Amino acid sequence: MVAGSLAGLATIGQMVLLAWIIHQGVIEEQPASLLIPAFLGLLAALLLRAVFQGLQTRFAARASGQVRRQAREQLRNHWQSQGPVALADASAASLTREWLDHVEALHGYFARFLPQMTLSLIVPLLILALVFWLDWLAGLFLLLSAPLIPLFMALVGMGAEKVNQQHFEVVSRLSGQFLDKIRGLTTLQLFGQTDSARETLRKRSDQYRRVTMKTLKVAFLSSAVLEFFSSVAIAVIAIYVGFGLLGYIDYGPSDQLTLFSGLLVLLLAPEFFQPLRTLSQYYHDRASAMGAAAEILGRLNDTGETPSPTDRRLGRVSKNMIDLQGISVRYGDKDNRPVLEQVDLTLPRGYSVALTGPTGSGKSSLLHVMAGFLVPASGVATVFGEAPGAKPFGWLGQKGFWIQGTWADNLRLTSPDASDEAIRQALGQVGLDQLVAGREQGINSPLSESGQGLSGGQARRLSLARIFLADYDLILLDEPTAGLDANSEQQVINALKALHAKGKTLVFSTHHSALLSLADRVLVVENREVRDA
Amino acid sequence: MHELRPWLRLIFRHRGGLVLGATLILATLLCGIALLAVSGWFLTETAVVGLALAAGLQATINLYVPGGAIRFFAVARTVFRYLERVYNHNLVLQLLTDIRVALFDRLAGAGHRHRGEKSGAQWLSRLTADVDALDTLYLRLIAPTALAGAITLLIAGLAWLLFSGTVALVVLVILLAGLLVATLAVLRGTRRLSSRLSDQQEALRGEVIEHIEGYAELTAAGRINEHAGHLLAEAGSLSRAQACIDARVGWHNALSTLLVNLSAVVALWLGFSLFEDGAISGPVLALLPIALLGLGEVYGMLPEAFGKYGATEAAAARLNQDGGSRGAPVASPTGAERHEAAAGQPLTLTNASIGHPGHPPLLAGFSLTLAPGKTLGVIGESGTGKSSFADTLAGVVPLLAGELTVPPCAYLTQGTVVFEDTVKANLLLGNPSATDTELWRVLDMLELADRFTREPDGLNNWLGSGGNRLSGGEARRLVLARVLLSRAPLVILDEPFTGVDAETRQRIAPRVQRHLEGRTLVCLGHAPEALLATERTLHLD
Repeated sequence: MVAGSLAGLATIGQMVLLAWIIHQGVIEEQPASLLIPAFLGLLAALLLRAVFQGLQTRFAARASGQVRRQAREQLRNHWQSQGPVALADASAASLTREWLDHVEALHGYFARFLPQMTLSLIVPLLILALVFWLDWLAGLFLLLSAPLIPLFMALVGMGAEKVNQQHFEVVSRLSGQFLDKIRGLTTLQLFGQTDSARETLRKRSDQYRRVTMKTLKVAFLSSAVLEFFSSVAIAVIAIYVGFGLLGYIDYGPSDQLTLFSGLLVLLLAPEFFQPLRTLSQYYHDRASAMGAAAEILGRLNDTGETPSPTDRRLGRVSKNMIDLQGISVRYGDKDNRPVLEQVDLTLPRGYSVALTGPTGSGKSSLLHVMAGFLVPASGVATVFGEAPGAKPFGWLGQKGFWIQGTWADNLRLTSPDASDEAIRQALGQVGLDQLVAGREQGINSPLSESGQGLSGGQARRLSLARIFLADYDLILLDEPTAGLDANSEQQVINALKALHAKGKTLVFSTHHSALLSLADRVLVVENREVRDA
Repeated sequence: MHELRPWLRLIFRHRGGLVLGATLILATLLCGIALLAVSGWFLTETAVVGLALAAGLQATINLYVPGGAIRFFAVARTVFRYLERVYNHNLVLQLLTDIRVALFDRLAGAGHRHRGEKSGAQWLSRLTADVDALDTLYLRLIAPTALAGAITLLIAGLAWLLFSGTVALVVLVILLAGLLVATLAVLRGTRRLSSRLSDQQEALRGEVIEHIEGYAELTAAGRINEHAGHLLAEAGSLSRAQACIDARVGWHNALSTLLVNLSAVVALWLGFSLFEDGAISGPVLALLPIALLGLGEVYGMLPEAFGKYGATEAAAARLNQDGGSRGAPVASPTGAERHEAAAGQPLTLTNASIGHPGHPPLLAGFSLTLAPGKTLGVIGESGTGKSSFADTLAGVVPLLAGELTVPPCAYLTQGTVVFEDTVKANLLLGNPSATDTELWRVLDMLELADRFTREPDGLNNWLGSGGNRLSGGEARRLVLARVLLSRAPLVILDEPFTGVDAETRQRIAPRVQRHLEGRTLVCLGHAPEALLATERTLHLD
């Protein structure tokens, strides 16, 4: 900002010298040779201006790093407090967009708009002072036009901001729909609906354009207002000074005007408005930062139904039990019927427990409570004497999860220090070893070599391999065999047997009879209760 | 550059609009420069005349023309600026629509296999960012560069007309140097950095999505904080790289401003000697340097846009890859023939090879005839070509060899695809002319009607992203309903009951069976209980 102000000063110096040189040359008819020092001074002013201008952007570029880092950390903490269950409600793509793109949008505001706001005060004030000294009437013109500008901008800006927020929502919804169509492209083709989908896309994009244009028509008014005032100020000053120089005006300070002062006032007039015009260019930065910030804050304030953790006091603490006392789980409003109500349950260490019951009866919710992903509306849960999730445990969701990278990368994701041999063994436990052995570089070959990724069954087995590798005491599995082919299913069952034989505690939801035989205890989750089968 | 070519072609289709938009910008800029230049000329003229009058000499001045011109340029600049802004942004949004639709078309043409190569959310999220990056092309890059060039030439012409050929040449050389600094030099200094940054950003995007998709597993394993810390560090280093690019752009901007101002000073210096020789008048001497100062604004738009060029190019390159600009739609390999069966004709498959193009076939020398109204079950583990078989029948992947005659079909794919739209819109895909009554009947058959009658909007109930408001079993039944609404003579169901619990399945399977009576059915699954009852069953090994 200091650099910006200095750049402003250098610009004023440049204009003073320029006007003086023209005055000296044209009016005083000085030979060019006498003006050499002035020319050199002019060059120096130009050079200084460039240096300060460069420094200004250099500082600005680094200005918002801190802010962005904090915003990212806060978003991340929010994810943490929301937990995996609530997080799964939002689409991964939009969460990512917030974390990356929206936070990035804050940059323009902090790096450009905010410093420029101060500059747009300092530089015009300097110019104003100079112009008043040269000719107070011309100064008065500038002064009168200046306060009108922020006034107009504020008026226009207020309208623009409201429309802008709505615009941001529309944009993210529409880009969601564009992606949605692409994601389901094969399905659309199968039903012969590609053309109508394209038309919908075009229509919605057009809608988006119309909505955006509404915002922009208003937003651009502010720059037009500025443009108008700066143009008119230049015109008025030019005509006033011109008539003054001709001696047509016989009041005020105009008889003092020379070409030097007149020309300088004229040259300074656009510079007087320049910082404000730059500011209005950055208004988009502000608008998009505001829109982005609104979304980020919306996310941060969306605390969902996480109850206060104060009722997470530990009751009876047993190091060898999973202990649930009076657990109730409810989604959404307080008025909604709970999914689970006053569930009491003790499961000893080393047990293998199956949860059955109709879809939506709360099996997953029960698993989520034991995992600590979900804080119950009431009741206390402890796992081996600690709060759920305090110690690492194995989790197998309905979708297996893999990252771009090699097989080893995928396993080291959760066990960073695992040896190659341990990784090979873990893959062997879930029957993926043959698939990997067939690859050129074994466990160091990319997971999706042909670009095809993994099938559902393979992905789930990969997740299981991680569990083998990490050697957790507790393993929670949500429908571990749903939708698997017979081969994958058998591999998963074998793996679970092996884990059980190693004395691990397994809790899994399932409809599958083969898995029920694996359980030491089968529980039925139904009608908001849990009972033995 | 060649990466941008297809998109440039798309943009230049709006030639008329582009020219009009550019003309509006040109008018705005020229009005701005003219306003200052004429004002400077006018002041100097009045000063000279004023002195003469004060000295009692006879002097005249035409006040009306310059006065009118000043007022005209002042108002015209405002009007043109507003028109230009509104018109061009509208144009840009039109271009973006075109880009999206073109991209959709390309992806639709690129074939199923090609799309399968990328993991869902990752690829999709990147797609949005890349499409957005292309908006810098016209308004920030093409138009301003062309205009800066045009105005530079105009002003050099002006210098030649008013001053002399030498002055024009010197000014032109300095200005061109400024233009080079603002464009090509920025490009040279940032292109690689900016394109690498853009690629790294996309890699980070992928990792963030993985982080969220794996949130449960990573949390369970106690690794979530390390992973997040890694992402934060990565984001920080990208911010620093961005700051480095911004700083470079800033210095180039400063240098190009310096050169523009220098040209004004040089014009003044050279003008002086012309003035002393009496070749030009004082007011004209003032006019040119002031006009040159106005160029700063024109050049000032360029460096930032060129600083982003590398990123734009990288985005275009990624989109080109996605759209398979290198590969036309997957055509049937030679030696394979696919025919549409006429009504009443059987489904026949003769000596067929089935699999993914470029890979060894999963099934070879396979023959099959299925008369209209007959039903066939196919049982196989994953990897045996079960889904490829279904994909081939439905025409999603081409037949590798042999001959296939197949009637129009409705196909339930293994993956459950629910669109982010209403229940109704999702169902109508299967049969756009179905009435609400029909929709309710099918939903009722699959025990989904209750689920939606409970919702206030009924059939217009909005299903969230990927249908995440539905459980796995509900989503599966919804897409099954969509297929059942279709009246196609052949129905292919791949794992129709994934995620549906056994009891529900046992209740709804017979109803589905009755609903499909009289139609040809191919039902595939990993085990007999996953299928509808069929007259024949194939086992794939």
